[in-house]
Amino acid sequence: MSRGTAERVVSAPLVAASHQRRFVLGDRIFRAIAYGAALLIMVIAVIFLIALVIPALPAMTKFGLGFFTSRTWDPVRNQFGALAAIYGTLVTSAIALLIAFPIGLGAALFLAEDARLSLLRGPLSFLIELLAGIPSVVIGLWAFFILTALMRDKVDPFLQHTLGFLPLLKGTPSGYGFLTASLVLAIMVLPIMIALSRDVIRAVPRELREASLALGATNAETIWSVILPYARVGITGAVLLSLGRALGETIAVTMVIGNTMQISASLFASGYTLPSVIANEFTEATGNVYLGSLFYLGVVLVLITIAVNVLARLLIWRFTGSGRAAA
Amino acid sequence: MSLPLVRILVDRVVGALVVLCVMVAAIPVLVLFLFVVIKGFPGLLTPGFFTDPPHPQGVPGGGVLNAIIGTLEIVGIGSLLAVPVGALIGIFLSEYGRNQVGDTVRFISDVLTGLPSIAFGIFGYTVVVLTTHHFSALSASIALAVLMLPVILRATETALLLIPNSLREAGLALGAPRWRVTLEIVVPAALGGIVTGALLAMARAAGETAPLLFTAFGNDIVQTNPLQPMGALALTVFRNALVPYPNLQDQAWAAALLLVILVAATNILARLYVGRIQR
Amino acid sequence: MTRVLIALSVGASVLLAACGGTSVAGNPSTGGPAVITPPAAALTGAGATFPAPFYDAARFAYNQKFSQVTVNYQAVGSGAGIQQLTKKLVDFGASDVPMNATELTAAGGSDAVVQIASTLGTESMAFNLSGVSNGQLKLTPKTIAGIFLGTIKKWNDPALAADNSGVSLPNQAITVVHRSDGSGTTYIFTDYLSTVSADWKSKVGKGKSVSWPVGQGASGNAAVATRITQTPGAIGYVELAYVLQTNMTQASLQNHDGQFVIPSPEGATAAASQFLAVNPTQFSIVDAPGQKSAPISGYSWLMLYKDQADKTKGTALVDYLDWLVTDGQQYAANVHYAKLPSNIVKDDINSLKTVTSGGTALLPSSVAAPS
Repeated sequence: MSRGTAERVVSAPLVAASHQRRFVLGDRIFRAIAYGAALLIMVIAVIFLIALVIPALPAMTKFGLGFFTSRTWDPVRNQFGALAAIYGTLVTSAIALLIAFPIGLGAALFLAEDARLSLLRGPLSFLIELLAGIPSVVIGLWAFFILTALMRDKVDPFLQHTLGFLPLLKGTPSGYGFLTASLVLAIMVLPIMIALSRDVIRAVPRELREASLALGATNAETIWSVILPYARVGITGAVLLSLGRALGETIAVTMVIGNTMQISASLFASGYTLPSVIANEFTEATGNVYLGSLFYLGVVLVLITIAVNVLARLLIWRFTGSGRAAA
Repeated sequence: MSLPLVRILVDRVVGALVVLCVMVAAIPVLVLFLFVVIKGFPGLLTPGFFTDPPHPQGVPGGGVLNAIIGTLEIVGIGSLLAVPVGALIGIFLSEYGRNQVGDTVRFISDVLTGLPSIAFGIFGYTVVVLTTHHFSALSASIALAVLMLPVILRATETALLLIPNSLREAGLALGAPRWRVTLEIVVPAALGGIVTGALLAMARAAGETAPLLFTAFGNDIVQTNPLQPMGALALTVFRNALVPYPNLQDQAWAAALLLVILVAATNILARLYVGRIQR
Repeated sequence: MTRVLIALSVGASVLLAACGGTSVAGNPSTGGPAVITPPAAALTGAGATFPAPFYDAARFAYNQKFSQVTVNYQAVGSGAGIQQLTKKLVDFGASDVPMNATELTAAGGSDAVVQIASTLGTESMAFNLSGVSNGQLKLTPKTIAGIFLGTIKKWNDPALAADNSGVSLPNQAITVVHRSDGSGTTYIFTDYLSTVSADWKSKVGKGKSVSWPVGQGASGNAAVATRITQTPGAIGYVELAYVLQTNMTQASLQNHDGQFVIPSPEGATAAASQFLAVNPTQFSIVDAPGQKSAPISGYSWLMLYKDQADKTKGTALVDYLDWLVTDGQQYAANVHYAKLPSNIVKDDINSLKTVTSGGTALLPSSVAAPS
């Protein structure tokens, strides 16, 4: 995709035809419309920011940066802090990636290049793409009725029985809380993790792989010392994009996290995440400070996800060459 | 020249692990589908499911007609807004966008793609609901349109860039102005990609819940006026799941199945379309 | 007069109303006294989940009768109801706590909003404990406060065991479930706790949402009920209707007079009868004296703007609300709410008569409360 050439080639006849007024006028109008559309998305982005920041101002001026260090969320006394929600968001996303990263990478390696069971590859790819398309509320519904009970009755007691000495696994499992939410998030980011890693691994030049095998390396050794080092940057990008999705996931998490504003070392405890606080309390917040605090949470959430996504894009662009035309 | 046993062993273990990973990744999908189909299917067959709005607790019957109409209308209006604008921006990117402006648009579009869906709900609430003083289907459509925009414009750009330059040159050589070449030759040739992008965006929008919470708001009455609050399948699933009444919970499963079918059908349609065009 | 006619023709239950379809009184051509036929309108209301089953049944029956009026009620929580009315996003708000002075100021002044009591209900302590049946568990104000303050952590705590001789309470952790959204149910419950426990009053206080010492949150009465049903060892405060309709187990509660009662609509009526003067500023009826009083009872309120910008919509709205507090009350019993006492209905109708559009009252002055 050599950029620049297209522009030049296409423009040349245009210059030649420039004496034809009618043509030039039509082209100018069309060009103006296209630029107008481009301008529109910029305007939307600006309005987006304004719509988020202005209503947050009452809370921003009242709490300032102390908002980030306070764990109080007390609508009665009108005191708000984001720490517990930020904690919940980061913990659930981190655990989700811890689960999804190895599984996703393994699955991507299989789908990208494993010669075995090649008949299965198509259907498996299809299945995983289907998962990406399932609405998050449906995953939430399943998690709410099926997964919470499974966690409470089987998984959590088992973990507590075997690893109960860890402070992470203290307390009474209710089925709702950080661990269940993390698992739901892991399921939800898996398709992204797999699809992006698979594409990155496929982009590793064939010659490298064949050279390694020809030198006598086993498949595992080739993966470890040739493919993964080469694809490292791209895979990091895939992880970051998955992280971006996990951080912002709202509905499914809201249904299983337990909705309690607290910081607890136990993974069985219930908590809250930035998006789920907003989803639960947005329509009911009375007063500018309460509502402003929710918008403030929104600003924090949006800034974090933008930072993560931009970083991810930069890494993936570096790997695949350019962002243009490679969506 | 056989390899040392350890190396073979490691190779086998890694190979097995990789297969295991695929299985672990595929299991949740199968389990999920199984549950949604088994728990949702009986609900689809209940009389009135497709033809009645919800009834209050204690009144037998009731369905999700309000939500079916709502989802179709909200996504429909959202698409009417997003598809032309998105396609136009895509055209801009491929035909005029190899510059600073284009890169800015691409950056904004990527940022929008990564934003949490709840942020679009806040956008719809502040920009439309607060200014019109009414929850409405339209505010939800606008929120979803912004959410769909990046998908459509990127798909359009990619599709247009795949059109060989020779096609453009041929058109120009025949003396056609550039705008006609673009609209009458390039865009029709790339239509498959554009339609696919639009369908994928619609499938994503139909499944979204978070952007509807503070915009469409929900409505248990069949409502077709886009300026009024409106129900949606995703809202039905979310709200009914949290209610302690078994009949409403069954309705949530059935609505979930319907939603999955709708989204999957749109996705498959998108693929079929691509297949047909590419042939 | 008209009201009585309509009431007769509609039939006794929601079920009948739903199946009946044709109602004579809705048709103005039948002669006799002029029937008020509301203009066509789509009304939107939002708020409390506490009375939602009643509002749902009532709006359905009303629409069967007057098909030109649709009422969309979304149970999103009392806080949300007030918030959205203030922002004029809905036509009427619903809350279990009337708007206070600050909220009224935000809505345009103490005189801008009309608030009427719409129904009377009571809260239960629902629990999930295998082997302990409905009404078997006895809770006193002290143990309820202890559980929600986190000082009573296990079901076999000595304080609980002392009140429950003969009941085998397991050595199981108590999972407290509370509301995560701004809720009138929470207000009534924390109002009760603040009344009976000085500790609670100083540490937590009362409000539509409070900073909970223990437990996990769920949004809406329905979600709390669902969470309790799903979680062994859980306890929470839930509006009676949700408990009875889903066959949850609930505790006997010790009232002000020291009697243990199982919350019921009759208990709510008994509690309400102890407080004759109830108005939007003096509305608490928790911890009522009386042998039969259910201790955690309360009215639920509807609020609308006194000056209606849209006359057609305003007319339909006051007509609907007038119907709701009179004929509509017949739908209360089916969903386990108590009928409003007649003095409250009178107050409501007088309040509705003050609603105007462009200076003219929307409810005819001839409308009176049924005797």
